[in-house]
Amino acid sequence: MLYRKSFLFALLVLAVITLAQRCKEPSGTCGMGCDLTDIPYNPTAYAIPKPAHFPQIPVPANNPMTLEGVQLGRRLFYDPILSADSTMSCSSCHLPQGSFTDNKAVSTGIDGIQGRRSSMSLLNIAYATNGLFWDGRSASLEEQALLPVEDPVEMHHTWPNVVEQLKSHPVYPELFRKAFGIDNCCGITKELAARALAQFERILISSGTSRYDQYILGDPDALDDKELDGKLMFFDEGQVVNLPDAQCFHCHGSITLTGNNYFNNGLDSVASLDDFTDKGRGGISGNRTDNGKFRTPTLRNIALTAPYMHDGRFPTLEAVLEHYNGNGKGVSNEDPFVQQIGFPLGGNVLQYSGLTAYQRQAVIKFLHTLTDTTFINNPDIQKPD
Amino acid sequence: MKFLPTILFALLFVFISSCDKDEPQTEKNFTLTFKSTYGGLALEKYKNYPYDDRDIQVNKFNTFLSDLILVRQDGSEQRLSDIEWVDFTPDLAPDNKAVDVKFQYTVPAGNYTALKIGYGVRPDLNAKKPADFAPEHPLYRENEYWSGWQSYIFTKVQGLYDLDGAGDPESTLTYHCGSDAVYRTSTMNATIPVTDKSGALTVEFDVKKLFYYNGGLLDLDDPLNRNTSHNASNIDLGIKVMDNFANATTVK
Repeated sequence: MLYRKSFLFALLVLAVITLAQRCKEPSGTCGMGCDLTDIPYNPTAYAIPKPAHFPQIPVPANNPMTLEGVQLGRRLFYDPILSADSTMSCSSCHLPQGSFTDNKAVSTGIDGIQGRRSSMSLLNIAYATNGLFWDGRSASLEEQALLPVEDPVEMHHTWPNVVEQLKSHPVYPELFRKAFGIDNCCGITKELAARALAQFERILISSGTSRYDQYILGDPDALDDKELDGKLMFFDEGQVVNLPDAQCFHCHGSITLTGNNYFNNGLDSVASLDDFTDKGRGGISGNRTDNGKFRTPTLRNIALTAPYMHDGRFPTLEAVLEHYNGNGKGVSNEDPFVQQIGFPLGGNVLQYSGLTAYQRQAVIKFLHTLTDTTFINNPDIQKPD
Repeated sequence: MKFLPTILFALLFVFISSCDKDEPQTEKNFTLTFKSTYGGLALEKYKNYPYDDRDIQVNKFNTFLSDLILVRQDGSEQRLSDIEWVDFTPDLAPDNKAVDVKFQYTVPAGNYTALKIGYGVRPDLNAKKPADFAPEHPLYRENEYWSGWQSYIFTKVQGLYDLDGAGDPESTLTYHCGSDAVYRTSTMNATIPVTDKSGALTVEFDVKKLFYYNGGLLDLDDPLNRNTSHNASNIDLGIKVMDNFANATTVK
């Protein structure tokens, strides 16, 4: 009986200690002076501004948009505190003037090590719900934001250290309080930082004022004749005026000009699917038929995001069109439309003409009408003061 | 101390009870499953299947389905859905096996005798565009919409055909069918009992049967039978494919 009582008493003591551990005042950097409850927590719901002709923006239920969350995310995005030597921020590889790319073939991390891929544009990234990065290895912006901080060829920091820096920072604890209602600086976590970054990234939406937008909104003079030819070929609408299909829209067909799907777009001639230097999606899925497939980037602001492709191999849009004009490499998992550019030449083995020099120039000229300088100059997305 | 066991058990009871309250209540009692096959074999991307004396691959297969309706013996109808999108070959699938796509609905108990299906996007919905829909709606999918023709792409079937007869499929097949002209409907008879608790129906599409025409398989040596990507270029082929959907459908 005594043994039973002792056991139950010990159990009760253990429960009390556990509760006390969870509820006690934080110590160390979370101790005195770290209480944030005097700061009001009244988050303001934030409706992401978007053009009327753009689809609704998907926002996950577990990370609702607030003004305070966006402001925190914006500050974090531009703050080199996220890198081990405080020299790199997210914006080091995603600059507004490059439509949130760095205009380099591949990006370089804090240790001077070059990555293997080009930074992707973040324009309209809120619509990307089919995986992120070139290979789709993150399912959401919240997941994605966690990875570059600890990537040895990027920021090469650790989240525990970042969180400690944020806790002891003169400003961040208050910003996290206002955004997420934490009671003390111990409440700062990498997950909350990622949620804030994701909220900021979700507001990187086109202004809807490019010349292409003006055209589709009803201004027939927004595109000149050559640009219109380019548009017709881009969207495979040109047959009525005897223009060939450029087949672009199959991968770049939505209003954001990417379906965020994964394709082998005929870049590399390989002996077998195992021979891609960069396996892309296949490196994540482990499925060899995904090798050489990469997520389709947006073509909005494409004229501002050179060089092109996942490895930045093409310095110009002219080089890109030259590539596509080659009608692929015939690799078995290549997207079929890569092999169907131009007029069908007939015959049993159907071949395609490719585009003439004029037609390629027209497509490129059309691509320039996608430039959205209002977006890149939007004061709400620049580095905060 | 005397009441300590009672207190502990009471706390345990409260804890367990609170967990129970978190269990979501669902009233969806009917499961509609879509499967895809090729010639009766489970469909798998990048796998060779026989097509007459050659081989074929089917590497992409998705489709919109409108007006999914259960029909009672007296002819009255129970609408399941205005529109669904069925993607058997999603990008992020774990492997090449075509996925089964399941939907769940709330259906009154009863004995149903048929399933109505619309192949594609019915005209009044096809008159809309992705921006008209919320992100969770099937028609929100921008990359399944042709802005140039103001139509959804009703179905996409892509693959390769062994045109040169060398053994490995190498010639592209692309069937992107859409526009009001190719919308089709059918009624599939079946015995479909549904109780308050459960009910299920499996709809199977045999991709090979999409290629049948005039009593035989489409001649894929003819380039005009290998590619249709929109209504302006080769709508006749799109019509053939969409005409075949009902024949390619079985319900179980």
